[in-house]
Amino acid sequence: MQLKQFKQINGALAAASCALVTGQVQAESSLLDDWQVDTAVMYYGETDRVKALEAVVNVNKDFGENHIFNGKLVYDALTGASANGAVAQPDAQTFTRPSGKAEYTIKGGDTPLDDTFRDTRVQINGQWTQPLGQNNTVTGGLHVSSEYDYLSMAINAGFARDFNKKNTNLALSLSYAFDSIEPEGGIPVAFSEMVYRSDYQSETDFWQSFNATRQSSGDDTKDTLDVIFGLTQIINRRWLVQLNLGMSQVEGYLTDPFKVVSVVDEQGYSVRQLYESRPDSRQKENLYIGSKYHFDHSILDLSYRFSSDDWGIDSHTLESRWRYNLSEFDYIAPHVRFYKQSSADFYRPFLNQQESVPMFASADYRIGQMSAYTVGLKYGRKLKNGHQASVRLEYYHQAPENSGYSAPGVLTELDLYPSLSAVILQFGYRF
Amino acid sequence: MQTTTAEFKIQFHPDYASIQFSAMASPCDLLVDSQDPELIEKLALASVQETKRIENKFSRYLSNNLCHAINQSCGQPVEIDEECFRLLEFANTCFELSDGLFDLTSGVLRKIWRFDGSDNIATQAQVEQMLPFIGWQKIHYTENHICVPEHMELDFGGIGKEYAVSKVAELALKLAPSNSVLVNFGGDIQVSQAKAKGQPWQVGIENPDFDQQTTKLIAIRQGSLATSGDSRRYLLCDGIRYSHILNPKTGWPVQGAPRAVTVAANQCIQAGCLATLALLNGENAEAFLQAQNIQYWCLR
Repeated sequence: MQLKQFKQINGALAAASCALVTGQVQAESSLLDDWQVDTAVMYYGETDRVKALEAVVNVNKDFGENHIFNGKLVYDALTGASANGAVAQPDAQTFTRPSGKAEYTIKGGDTPLDDTFRDTRVQINGQWTQPLGQNNTVTGGLHVSSEYDYLSMAINAGFARDFNKKNTNLALSLSYAFDSIEPEGGIPVAFSEMVYRSDYQSETDFWQSFNATRQSSGDDTKDTLDVIFGLTQIINRRWLVQLNLGMSQVEGYLTDPFKVVSVVDEQGYSVRQLYESRPDSRQKENLYIGSKYHFDHSILDLSYRFSSDDWGIDSHTLESRWRYNLSEFDYIAPHVRFYKQSSADFYRPFLNQQESVPMFASADYRIGQMSAYTVGLKYGRKLKNGHQASVRLEYYHQAPENSGYSAPGVLTELDLYPSLSAVILQFGYRF
Repeated sequence: MQTTTAEFKIQFHPDYASIQFSAMASPCDLLVDSQDPELIEKLALASVQETKRIENKFSRYLSNNLCHAINQSCGQPVEIDEECFRLLEFANTCFELSDGLFDLTSGVLRKIWRFDGSDNIATQAQVEQMLPFIGWQKIHYTENHICVPEHMELDFGGIGKEYAVSKVAELALKLAPSNSVLVNFGGDIQVSQAKAKGQPWQVGIENPDFDQQTTKLIAIRQGSLATSGDSRRYLLCDGIRYSHILNPKTGWPVQGAPRAVTVAANQCIQAGCLATLALLNGENAEAFLQAQNIQYWCLR
């Protein structure tokens, strides 16, 4: 019997059949049959600080009978400046860059920002979910995220069970992450003092002193274990509520190697900069309550999250999204979010010269007392080819607050808790 | 419980209801996992209407329809609608994908080939007389018009029934979005969507082997099945069996093809087309099907 080589025409035929029966053309998507692909490009810009551009590709494929693969690729490019933790001063200040190879100068009155902040990050996630028996679902996934000086790898697994005619769902998920950091210029010795080239006669003397501020090993690691217990309850045809309890335990190097704390004298003048020091473990508990309600033409999402950790940070997040269908083809979704947190026990905007150096101290505003809000609007539209396009614009405002430290001398005249605003613009396309 | 009208018959069984009617020279059955008489009746009326609509529009046995107008146009442009255009586009895709084996214009060959079980085979002279009137590439069409040269004809018979099955299944999904409906037109089958609990439908299809007049019970959860074969339509001459599948390039019946091919696919129209193409590939039917990475059954 003569055997011919046949080409695969079934994919093209499937697309043609679908076009014939449904009247919808599956443009170019015959290869991507029942793959759902979401793409998004996001711009994030803080006034005078960090700017980020992010591209996301998210794919979902149902292999039938709820065997679902999800893959996600994220690429971020960040540039700009971030606060280095030092206190503002009436006069210009000079800082040695983390690498030791250069210096940067900050004008009097300005919040010290390190402008070497530049990084790209690539993140890959893969998740597999499938039923196990009639009422159970199991899931497992891998995550890798890589930056210039940072690598994170994580695995996760979850189990969920439906009860009560699928009206109740209980889920338990675990994830373990292993992160390693190898910062430019090495890892500073806790509370060692920043050295300046101008204080030394020779290059050799400077490097000898600089190296003394660095740990012998240039890298460090941390381990994170997360456990989440979730309950989802369908109240009625329109209403669904969700409750999550989470616990997170982190061990390892949790200090920010690029941040310092200023030591100030009685007049408020900065006398030296110490590399910050944080505990090597952090335990966090959180509670999340969410509600989703379907009205005739809209869906209202409301949620509250409380989080508390053994660093002393308690936070509250209240968030709401309202998706309103303008027509069969398009919708708008306003979004508001309020956030409030107390400061970590070891947060210090600065250290006083006359006091002894505490065990831990950080001037990182992100672990200080603050409140923040986000307001935004999203518009989405279903296109004629069945694809979906969306645009989202959000405004974020963050206001660090004084948690009761009295500022000596010249510091009273300066803004020690500068607020920060950012704009987020995102374009999304689903096919 | 049972309802019979002039057009259809409804029967309620312990865990499903059935709708039966006759169209396209085939028994037409719908099975629905519902006991809601209102829904079943709505489905029955809509299915009969849709099936008859397609039959009346594209059947070549009628003389007052679009198909007839196209075939009697003698090269003059005939106005077509969007549905007809989509069918032509589909036929065109099949023609291109099959390197010309799937050809809607090959129906004129039935004037010289009558597959009545006799030994009445055509002569090469007769075949050569017909060949100039075959060839999809000679048909020109746009979204609004089609031009078919004189003596040429379009025959939607090869895809009409499968198309109707797919359309009725799609209609059933719209009318009964939370039910599973199995559409079965003489063995060409499509399920609108899987049953909520995932159990398959059990359905009897006629065994394509004409020697054994038996029914084969098959289980189907979702998607569709279509069968192409020569169980009754063939010629037998000097011990050679000539199948009713004609090669449009030679004008002769395909040799060495399986007796019947059943293919599973998402859409019935897709399954039907693959099954027909498999037969057109004659002795290479299995190799063709193998390359398509689909589920299939061949009877030799």
